[in-house]
Amino acid sequence: MNAIVITENILQALAAGILVGSVYGLMCVGLGLIYGVMRVINFAQGDFLMLGMYATLYLFGWLSLGQYLGPYLGPVVAALLGAVILYGFGVLLHSTLLSRVTGIRVAGTESEGHYPQLILTLGMSLIIANGGLIVFGSMPQGIRTPLSASAWEIGPLIGQDLSIFLNKARSVAFIVSVIVAILLYLFISRSRTGKTLRAAADNPEAATYMGINVDRAYRVAFALGIALTAIAGGLVATYYPFQPYVGLEFVIIMYAGVVLGGFGSIVGAFWGGLTIGLVQQLSTLILPVQLQNAAIFVVFLLIILIRPEGLFGRNAERV
Amino acid sequence: MMQFTRQVGMGRNVAAALVAVGLAIAAPAALGQAREVKVGLIAPLSGPWARQGELMLKGAQMAIEDINNGGGIKSMQGAKLRLVTADAGDSTEKAKNAAQRFVASEPDMIGATGSWLSSFTLAVTEVTERAEMSILTLSYSDQITARGFKYVFQTSPTAGAQSVGAMPAIVELGRAATGQQLRTIAIVGDNTASPVSFLKPMREGGLEKMGIKLTVDEIFTPPLSDATSMVQKVRSIRPEAVLFVPTNTSDSKLILEKMNEMGLGRGRIPMIGNGAPLGMPELLKSVGKDLMEGMLVIVANWTQKGQEKLIADFKKRTGEPWMTQDSLSSYGDMWIFKEALEKTGVADRKKIADAIRTMDTKSGPANFYPGGRIKFNDDGRRAGAGIMIIQWQNGEPVTVYPTDIALAKPIWPKK
Repeated sequence: MNAIVITENILQALAAGILVGSVYGLMCVGLGLIYGVMRVINFAQGDFLMLGMYATLYLFGWLSLGQYLGPYLGPVVAALLGAVILYGFGVLLHSTLLSRVTGIRVAGTESEGHYPQLILTLGMSLIIANGGLIVFGSMPQGIRTPLSASAWEIGPLIGQDLSIFLNKARSVAFIVSVIVAILLYLFISRSRTGKTLRAAADNPEAATYMGINVDRAYRVAFALGIALTAIAGGLVATYYPFQPYVGLEFVIIMYAGVVLGGFGSIVGAFWGGLTIGLVQQLSTLILPVQLQNAAIFVVFLLIILIRPEGLFGRNAERV
Repeated sequence: MMQFTRQVGMGRNVAAALVAVGLAIAAPAALGQAREVKVGLIAPLSGPWARQGELMLKGAQMAIEDINNGGGIKSMQGAKLRLVTADAGDSTEKAKNAAQRFVASEPDMIGATGSWLSSFTLAVTEVTERAEMSILTLSYSDQITARGFKYVFQTSPTAGAQSVGAMPAIVELGRAATGQQLRTIAIVGDNTASPVSFLKPMREGGLEKMGIKLTVDEIFTPPLSDATSMVQKVRSIRPEAVLFVPTNTSDSKLILEKMNEMGLGRGRIPMIGNGAPLGMPELLKSVGKDLMEGMLVIVANWTQKGQEKLIADFKKRTGEPWMTQDSLSSYGDMWIFKEALEKTGVADRKKIADAIRTMDTKSGPANFYPGGRIKFNDDGRRAGAGIMIIQWQNGEPVTVYPTDIALAKPIWPKK
């Protein structure tokens, strides 16, 4: 294999890693926000991703967004509208179910409510996935636009030999993911609601004494976390076929990304997701493709071994 | 006293009624005339392979309706068949558990068809073999019938046999169309049981014997998140054809779209696939007609000449655009059970297994399998089970090989 082919392979894997990883990053941010603020390990996050995919699919079709807004903007608007619906769903779920096992109500109880939280989110996951099968059927779906099978070709760069292909659907997903992640960062760090979220995360009891409605802050964090993952789902739906069990394929990646970035760190969750995408794609340069997911966990274990708090985590975050 | 007498009288009536009910239940069984005979289907009805399970279910349900509407099992005074289903789920563990529940809760079931994915069938048959329950399967893996099991009947040619049988036919097709011998080929497939069995003989000298050099060998673990690295290797090495062996729709879509994106799709490099997922209606829906056009797919069973009425009937009753091998084989499997029941006249698992083992027919259920004969060898493999090749032409996968039962002529994609 000559140098140009090797260079092309490396650049192509790097590009694919960044495109795939940025969407993983957004998924991880959603999960990281819920954990960071509420300390709830949400096993149903993959299923909310799935609901985001279906919401985007149906909104794209029903509102004829492809016809009015075109293949670039149409699916993105559908994903954002889908996220609004999922936000509402998140508020509803928190008010009716999660608020009973989180927040002040369980403060000071054995395990701080973690056991009921685990059982509740696992139960939600099973109900949503199986309910999805009943409602949406088993047929794999996808948002069909010409973008998923076409690419922007960068090059030929050296003579006629070196070209990099950037898949159009994945490139749009990359841009939207980065913008949404930046907006979230600004929201958390600058806005008043963001401050209440941080206060509720740092010390729920002290926040209550300061007049912050911790329950409301948790509700916002949970619904926002779901909505962010739903946006990521809607973006993935433009190039990846899905069925009601698709959440399982992503939930492990989400967890790995969040732990890698440092549990509780929003910025870290994004970088964690991006790192996973890069490792997944770059590992294929030296390892067989069938080991690409194994490579993720090798890197994951190495980072946990060297830096147990994750890339961006802090040891004494809640002190 | 009066009261006592009345009680005795009532007791007599109750006893008489119980005896009558008992006789009514026992009589048909004693005479070997069960009013209803249970047959099973263990298939993934949830999880990533749920769609394939659904297609199997549609075929089996249609067969049951046809058999029952046609008068049921004649040797059992018109006994009707009843389909019992079990969900094999999304893992071998769940498939095995489903089989265990099936065996325990349905002791009167005569046999079943299943379980689509070879890995599932391997797990399920570990359980059904101990329960001496016959399993008819379309799964491809050689391993299914290489374990000395007595109650597994594989109606498809094994993946290894498909690999050996299909390549010469495809090479010949290419030579006839291009005037040149195929010299280089790439393998892109997943690492589930069926593709592993299919590709093994090719890697171990099969391709070399035909004068074909394997230049790219990319195996992935499903589900794939992105196909860039694999297709990039195909792009940089440029083989003359690609052997394409995925087992699920999402992986197929990612790879086909990536091929197109990198300028290799739409027949620029001919694609030769293996397995029913490459003939699924939803693949057309998610990938589109243009990217599928011309792809050749090696399958174990598909609709053929002479089945036009069955195909039309299936489309009308199920709303599916065509009949895949999953529906066709589960349809045929129900007819094999019917044939066995007609022969034995009793709903007894062991006798049904014996009847299937000794069956040798070229009519009835044989019409639903290529080769037109139902006879199983000692190892449970169907004698003379040959391969079929289908090709995507104008948005539909049609049978192009063997020529005598083909519904269309093959085209070698050349660009």
